[in-house]
Amino acid sequence: MRLKHLLSALALGTLAIAAHAQNTIKIGAPLALTGSLADEAKKQQVAYAMWRDRVNAAGGINVGGTKMKVELVESDYQSNAQRAQQMAEKMISQDKVDFMTSPFGSGHTKVVAGVAERYGVPVVAPSASSESVFDQGYKYLFGTLAPNGGLVQTMAKLFIQQMPNVKTVAILGREDVFPKSMAVSMQEAAKAAGLTIVHDELYPVGNLDFSASMSKIKAAKPDWIYVTGYDKDLILARKQMADLGVTAPIVTMVTGPAYPEFINNLGKLADNVSSVTWWHQATPYTADDVFGSTKAFHDEYVSRAKAEPDYVGASSAAALVALQKAIEKAGTLDKAKVRDALAALDITTFYGPIKFGANGMNAGRELPVIQVQGGKVVLLYPEAIKQADLKPFN
Amino acid sequence: METYIQIIANGLMLGALYACIAVGFSLVWGVLNVINMLHGSFIVLGGYLAFFAWAQLGVSPFVMLFVVAAVLFLLGFLIQYGAINRVVSKPVLLTLTLTFGLDLILYNFMNVVFEATPRRITLDLGSLGIGEVMLPYDRLLAMLLALAMTGILYWVLRSSRIGRAIVAVRMDRDAAALMGIRVNKVYAITFGISAMMAGACGALMAVVYPITTNTTGLLLGKAFTICVIGGLGSVPGALVGGLALGLIESFAGTWLGAQYAILIGSLLMLTLLMVRPTGLIGKRGYE
Repeated sequence: MRLKHLLSALALGTLAIAAHAQNTIKIGAPLALTGSLADEAKKQQVAYAMWRDRVNAAGGINVGGTKMKVELVESDYQSNAQRAQQMAEKMISQDKVDFMTSPFGSGHTKVVAGVAERYGVPVVAPSASSESVFDQGYKYLFGTLAPNGGLVQTMAKLFIQQMPNVKTVAILGREDVFPKSMAVSMQEAAKAAGLTIVHDELYPVGNLDFSASMSKIKAAKPDWIYVTGYDKDLILARKQMADLGVTAPIVTMVTGPAYPEFINNLGKLADNVSSVTWWHQATPYTADDVFGSTKAFHDEYVSRAKAEPDYVGASSAAALVALQKAIEKAGTLDKAKVRDALAALDITTFYGPIKFGANGMNAGRELPVIQVQGGKVVLLYPEAIKQADLKPFN
Repeated sequence: METYIQIIANGLMLGALYACIAVGFSLVWGVLNVINMLHGSFIVLGGYLAFFAWAQLGVSPFVMLFVVAAVLFLLGFLIQYGAINRVVSKPVLLTLTLTFGLDLILYNFMNVVFEATPRRITLDLGSLGIGEVMLPYDRLLAMLLALAMTGILYWVLRSSRIGRAIVAVRMDRDAAALMGIRVNKVYAITFGISAMMAGACGALMAVVYPITTNTTGLLLGKAFTICVIGGLGSVPGALVGGLALGLIESFAGTWLGAQYAILIGSLLMLTLLMVRPTGLIGKRGYE
């Protein structure tokens, strides 16, 4: 490794004069390939590679009339926030990346975006959805996910409309950036919808047992049980609900059913659990990007990863599609100009519409509400393409 | 009333799982004076072996438990014999560093081979309902396993030849060597037994929890806490520590909320370290 660094430093030195004759676009991609987020990072890696290969097969990105190939500068930050920061520094100052993507999750995105902002490097974040990442006044940060708040409101409205008898809700959220934000969003959505919150609790990261929480929820007899967390938490929570005989007309686990492993790990217990997500392959779009359509993306992802894509993969590819469109529009690799092009972007991609709001977040439109029915994820919303109505959980 | 019974039942069943996690860890710490950083990964490895045997060959995890135990015994034996024995008599920091390094290797190996995707054996056995109180069968089994492992270990250490040798080595390594005990072999067997218990526990846990490499550190931390609470140097220590922690987390989780359950457990550990460093029923030495 050290030798490689030395060589690349030497190479950079000799090429310093010829820097303007650059013929590839370097995109830095910090990935948590090992450590606790390894699973999500691998989905990102697959999606990035799909985009890169398609772009390079087409000759590259059109930058003001010249086709330039794309190089991904990937690096494993081991799911460690401090390392993510160091990697971002290194990518910008040593590897001289032109643009960046951010790692999985709101927390680490915030770290990387902070570094990139200082150097004025545009970052497109594929999997950060918490407003607390985007309210820092960063000018160079853009995110392809829609804000959490909108997600929950859509769902609450839909559910109450389909099950008017639902009056009470129990909220159990993970004490962590995204899941906590989703729990808070639910409190707000519940109040707005006139629901009574009969149980409201946060559980810590690294929780190994839900029996106390579930026993309390059981006693509160809510009409709607709403749990947020990551797949491992949600699988355990659902399992312990079954163990303790906890049930309700609606059970929502955010964003459990959006991940294929939720169903794989729960089997029958996954049935009738609902959620909301940013993307699902059942929402079809056609677009003039490198993928062309949602189906084309889905099929290639399945053949590469041997697994169904979820929003992480789709949003990761979409982030790079957005970047590509912005570069093409700007006609230059100038970071400030590409940043402006990103800010003004208004496109439809295989992933859906992308238009960044004032804070840099993608405006969410028609976000899918989903439910597991008979072992499969079905779409309950948007209305125009829905596959089923909400089924009672119990 | 039934609420309280359920809280106690929840605590005891969680505690039994905790005891399962900690028994092997306590043994190695007590006998070898090694803080085995590999322990969490051993449990997860056991879980993976059981999962893949079930998912691809259809072997029941309750049968696989014994196979996993045998495989892990062998792995533990070899690791101790080949690596840890070289530094086992050195200061504890050195053995800690070695097992930490070995854990990094095992952890990343599992990450590459199995990937971090959570995997659970979806055999849902249901629950035994007594009135309003629910006792999940898989946790009852974990309880049984924890009791069995503790019981067998207790018996082995007291009544078998190898058990007496393990205790002798713990008491005085040099004297044991002079008595003709092959210390290195005894160490390797002890470590093997510990790994075996971790593996068996992991196989059972794959039914209860989604198995992922992400939990290795968490399990190790629990094992550590339980051993400090229960006390080192006594076989029932891990059992008592596990049950105590389970009950504490269950009550704290109910009364104060899930956020405080772990905090209260850690506070208890710190308090015990100050007030009673031998733990609830720990003794000096191991017997």
